[in-house]
Amino acid sequence: MKNKLTKKNIVLIAVGVLIAALVLNIPYIATSNYMIRVVNMSMITYLVVLSVYVLLGMCGQNSFAQAGLWGVGAYVTANLTTKFEFSPIAATLVSILATALFAFIIGFALFRLREFYFTFSTIGLMVILNSLFLNWTPVTGGAMGFSGIPTYSLLGFKFRTEAEYFYLILGVIIIVSILMNILYKSSLGRSFMAIRDNELAANCLGINSLLTKSISFAISGALCGLAGALYASMSGYLSSSTFTYNQSTLYLVMIMLGGTISPAGALIGGVGITLLQELLRPLENYMLLIFGAGIMIMMIFQPEGILGGGKAFYAKLRKKQQSRIGTK
Amino acid sequence: MNNLQLLVSGVALGIVYGLVAMGMVLIFRTVGVMNFAQGNFLMFSGYVCYQFNQKIGLPMAISMFITIIIMGLMGILFQKVAYWPLRNAPSKAIVVSTMGAAFVLQEGARIIWGAVPLSMDRLIPGSVKLGSSVLQGQYIAIIIVSAILMAFIYFLLEKTRIGSIMQATAQDQYMASLVGISVKKSVALTFFLSIAIAGIAGTLMTPIFFITTGVGTTSSVKAFAAIVIGGFGSIPGAIIGGIIVGLVEAFGGTYISSTYQLALIYVVLILVLIFRPQGLFGGKIQEKA
Repeated sequence: MKNKLTKKNIVLIAVGVLIAALVLNIPYIATSNYMIRVVNMSMITYLVVLSVYVLLGMCGQNSFAQAGLWGVGAYVTANLTTKFEFSPIAATLVSILATALFAFIIGFALFRLREFYFTFSTIGLMVILNSLFLNWTPVTGGAMGFSGIPTYSLLGFKFRTEAEYFYLILGVIIIVSILMNILYKSSLGRSFMAIRDNELAANCLGINSLLTKSISFAISGALCGLAGALYASMSGYLSSSTFTYNQSTLYLVMIMLGGTISPAGALIGGVGITLLQELLRPLENYMLLIFGAGIMIMMIFQPEGILGGGKAFYAKLRKKQQSRIGTK
Repeated sequence: MNNLQLLVSGVALGIVYGLVAMGMVLIFRTVGVMNFAQGNFLMFSGYVCYQFNQKIGLPMAISMFITIIIMGLMGILFQKVAYWPLRNAPSKAIVVSTMGAAFVLQEGARIIWGAVPLSMDRLIPGSVKLGSSVLQGQYIAIIIVSAILMAFIYFLLEKTRIGSIMQATAQDQYMASLVGISVKKSVALTFFLSIAIAGIAGTLMTPIFFITTGVGTTSSVKAFAAIVIGGFGSIPGAIIGGIIVGLVEAFGGTYISSTYQLALIYVVLILVLIFRPQGLFGGKIQEKA
């Protein structure tokens, strides 16, 4: 048993090192700055999709406001850095906190509604936020958009190129992924999942479901705030047309395609689909059509997402192998 | 624009949103899943009607009729592709599948008819003068056609055998199959009816504005508001909710702020939810859902 485990571990470590080596070298393999930008964007998308995971995958609550929260984070950073001369790092921390607080308060109000009602009220939140982004000109730049957001600097080092940003965002998402793993195993994470599986039973076990759900909304808000701050300073320009209801729909589709059973689903869905969209760029005219049809086919054959399907396949494989050996 | 004009246009547009919402509620009651592609079916029906009316040159009433039949058949196809293979999967998967269908409809329309906004004839051209206000014929047509349609739906659901079969399926699919109802046919009929209603809404609404691919998402979003304001799962609620949405849009857009028109609808929605969390007509269905 122990032998088998170590053998498996060696393979896993080898694969891990290989992937790490490959990922770290992306800026050198990439032929253009544009390609690195796409990879950076896919990592930011991963952060937002992770926020959907916290809410939908762990807590079982479906929100359509994630693109709006992402926008809140981005506009907070943009305003703090350009108007109040915050350093971008400080602005990022403030926007994480601000978005989390905003989400917590809104969550506390909206989670009085259940299931579908909550989902619809988040569509409302998204629509309201989007009209604010479009029309509140002094704060969001209105239809002209918000430009001139400074880039990050850390201890005198300025992040300028796409490659430098790549390592920054990679570092951030590794830290976030570790935190997410801690959350997944913590008692808070278990309360989330208890609510997802049976809210009434969770209440009977003494979980305050309103508070817990609001906390999960706040955590997902914090992730969106972080993603928004990174996006604002990386692109240097914000437009209200980025933060729309359609974008929120896309995040939901991403997590469902990746799989909602673990945070890895967010990685597969967020990064995978953003990159796939880029690969399909030559088919520009037909891209969304193929994408839509792909979603439907995917759901028919893998309703649990890529991760769920993969897991079931792996379990089937193991079962076959074991039955050949003769043990149960 | 004086108040009577606002009232008529608000009610007319509101009824259209109400029809979209009603189609969603019909599907929701039968299969327990929200259809996120309903608004896109409205958009698509506008394009199909444009094809018959402008490209082939048929009169509006005939092209409307053909469009509605085509949309109904598309509903059955939609049911076969997006719902039936997934009926045992978690409802989240079906929701995502309908979102995929929304993408397909929107992009399909753009590829076939292009991104340029198109216009077509009205069912009743011209306008009627009533005192100092000028009422557009199309708004009146919307109200009359929708009223007839609603009476028809009410009659179908409450007074006929087909209606009883559909209601039985909506209440409990398993029990319905035990008493000899073909669930498959009943579900297909519901989708036919629901998408045909979206088709009627589309052919009525799009002559007022230009037909664009963006109409789908906005009308979906307004229909969601109508459903929640009216009370989840209630068909009369969906219509009343739709009319409230239309009136808020018309009057709010004129007297309060035209830039925040869409946001205003949702402010009203949140207010309704605070004072009456189950919506105006919410009742037993909501507890079941």
